[in-house]
Amino acid sequence: MIFSSIPFLYYFLPVTMILYYLAPKKARNAVLLLVSLVFYGWGEPRYLLVMLGSTALGYLFGLAIGAAKKPAARRALLTASILSCLGVLVYFKYADFFLNNLNALFGTNWKLLGLALPVGVSFYTFQILSYTVDVYRGNAEVQKNPIDLACYVTMFPQLIAGPIVRYTDVARQLKTRQYSRADMEQGMTRFLIGLGKKILLANLLGEVCAAWRATQDGSVLFSWLYAVSYTLHIYFDFSGYSDMAIGLGKLLGFSFPENFNYPYIAASVTDFWRRWHMSLSSWFRDYVYIPLGGNRKGRGKQLRNILIVWLLTGFWHGAAWNFLFWGLYFAVLLILEKLALLKTLEKHRFFGHLYLLLAVIFGFVLFDASSLRGAWVCLRGMFGLGGLPAVSDEGLYLLRSNALLLLVSVVGATPLPKMLAQKLNDYSTNAAAALRALGLCMLLLVCTAFLVDGSYNPFLYFRF
Amino acid sequence: MPPMKKRLFWALPILYIALTLACWLHTPNAESLSERRKLAQMPKLTWSGIQSGSFASNFESCTQDQFPLRETFRRGKALFSTKLLGRRDNNRIYESGEGFLAKLEYPMNEASVDYAASRFRTVYDRYLAGSNRVYVSLIPDKTAYLDGIPKLDHTAFAERLRKQTPFANFIDLSDTLTLNSFYKTDTHWRQETLGKTAEALAAAMGKHLSMEYETKLGTADFLGVYAGQSALPVAGEPLYYLWNDAFNGLEIQDRENNRTIGVYDLSALNGRDPYEMYLSGSLSLITVKNTNASSTDKLIIFRDSFGSSIAPYFFESYAEVTLVDIRYLPVERLGKFLDFADSDVLFLYSTLVLNNSETLK
Repeated sequence: MIFSSIPFLYYFLPVTMILYYLAPKKARNAVLLLVSLVFYGWGEPRYLLVMLGSTALGYLFGLAIGAAKKPAARRALLTASILSCLGVLVYFKYADFFLNNLNALFGTNWKLLGLALPVGVSFYTFQILSYTVDVYRGNAEVQKNPIDLACYVTMFPQLIAGPIVRYTDVARQLKTRQYSRADMEQGMTRFLIGLGKKILLANLLGEVCAAWRATQDGSVLFSWLYAVSYTLHIYFDFSGYSDMAIGLGKLLGFSFPENFNYPYIAASVTDFWRRWHMSLSSWFRDYVYIPLGGNRKGRGKQLRNILIVWLLTGFWHGAAWNFLFWGLYFAVLLILEKLALLKTLEKHRFFGHLYLLLAVIFGFVLFDASSLRGAWVCLRGMFGLGGLPAVSDEGLYLLRSNALLLLVSVVGATPLPKMLAQKLNDYSTNAAAALRALGLCMLLLVCTAFLVDGSYNPFLYFRF
Repeated sequence: MPPMKKRLFWALPILYIALTLACWLHTPNAESLSERRKLAQMPKLTWSGIQSGSFASNFESCTQDQFPLRETFRRGKALFSTKLLGRRDNNRIYESGEGFLAKLEYPMNEASVDYAASRFRTVYDRYLAGSNRVYVSLIPDKTAYLDGIPKLDHTAFAERLRKQTPFANFIDLSDTLTLNSFYKTDTHWRQETLGKTAEALAAAMGKHLSMEYETKLGTADFLGVYAGQSALPVAGEPLYYLWNDAFNGLEIQDRENNRTIGVYDLSALNGRDPYEMYLSGSLSLITVKNTNASSTDKLIIFRDSFGSSIAPYFFESYAEVTLVDIRYLPVERLGKFLDFADSDVLFLYSTLVLNNSETLK
């Protein structure tokens, strides 16, 4: 099930809210677990067992690590926990990638497993790992209640596409939650803004990208139009989902961490990755980069650690070479910035900003490509190489048709709308409240209209 | 919280609850007249349906199709998309400055054109001989006469079809039509504007058309298929048909349903698709006999829905005209129903059908 659908909005969500708030507070975790299992199993019930199995392993290993006294035993249990958790991820997500490459490298003929990827496996695997590692480190208490732990892992707001919520972020909230009208208002607002980002911006920008992928009428203009549209599309798709997840969490009494902080206003790749998918980058920082030594073991090891983290980050996004190269691409830029560029970029923010936008656009071309060759073809096309004309009928038509959409998207990717809303609120609280109420109602109606007229519109990060 | 803010807080939840209740309590509709299709109904809840995921996807379709005030919401979306966001098409239906709606269909699907040509070839190889005079013609899509939009290259399309059908004489119709030859809100052409087109086809087949027709009004408020698909507020337009009293003397047999029909089925004007009034719509096999024709020749037209409205032009020249729709009747079974001996054979298809020719059997 996806948030931006009629079944979720007008069937699942109201029923969930009714059951949740009618239930006594002590039973709400169980209710949340139950509805989350329905949410997850809605379209693909067969992978429920995989998720529950991973959760059960995380629970048992948590108990065992908590009970073990000897450091060696605790380390062994943690290792087993990590291997079992990652084993599930590797099996479903990466097995065919490795088999394919072994066949290509050694001329063997290993049969591919052809497994479908359980939705959200990359997200809930990292959440379970964060629990067992934090228990090992003593940062989190062992969760003895399997319902509470399962509720944490499977919680539907962030189950499918994040943010990656650490157990320590919500441990206290699993025990007791506060509910207030302000939280409800914030939750509804945040959810609707996310819904609008997804339906009114991301989906429409996605149509431009789909047109480019299918075109036989390529041009330099069309290539750039695609690249820019995709850069905006992935931001609004992913940040829109995060907004919805955070909003839903608020409605249920949870505070989830922020996942995006206007990444496209950054003036360096370093700053960009402090603003983009923050829950993932902080996860890799705390569970991979720092344990490897971070920047505490000399420059050489620091650069090595950056390389490892970014290769893993790329690989986490997909089992294909273009994702690995995407991670490597950012690793190189981060290293260059650390070694030489960062001070210059911070001093000349305009050029830093321009550099960042180009770096991100090229990076996302690589990210979206079906292969390295596909990425190269697109990048060549952007620079007029490969015999493409400057302009094509289709590219021009789509640019004209989506000019306003692109402008709204560019503005929407900056803090400007929020700043304007704040200014209005400072000027007149009542006017701001009235406009907000009207705006949110219109947003709900327009999003509903798009859903009624549209068809299936899954999130990009679903494949993770 | 200040009182005003408290009151305004409830606006959104009240709207949401109202929409939710409307969804839950709405009486399902069977079909959408504007979209000309049946609406999805609530699927049965079965274990196999849950396991396979089909229940979930059918439930989603049902909730979309059965959403209360669906037409209003679709229109709202269309207006938001085109008027507020300035997008030039909605659901790939483009509206020109003159109010013509057209589907953005591109690029040419070469495999589809080749497949269609192979079906025509099969007909030729199986049933036709030296005594047959074989013709193929391509009906351009409306978009061929619109500027500023990506569209099929009609010239390249025609050339590919022509090259793939060397056994037939290709008849070019592009210069016989203009934008005004088409309905504003439908994919089809207007029967009353097809005189030049029919003459071009007839002349290529060695015939001359001389009959005069009276133009009669079928309906003043025809809304075509694109009106529903685009969901934009568009005005209806007149739908005319051509009449000559000689049509009374025709013997028209709908061989699919084993019944006699007329040139025009006026009851279709009140139905889902008024265009179906021409020869009762797309039937798989129709035979028209005219004992008063100017020749004893026979014509077999392999056609899509466009053929229904142009075929009456040829009734004066042929003692027998057979219309075949191989979207419903497989080519391999034609021998059971048709005698091809000494007939003119015309393959007359629109670019839209040939670009999606998987429907040809």
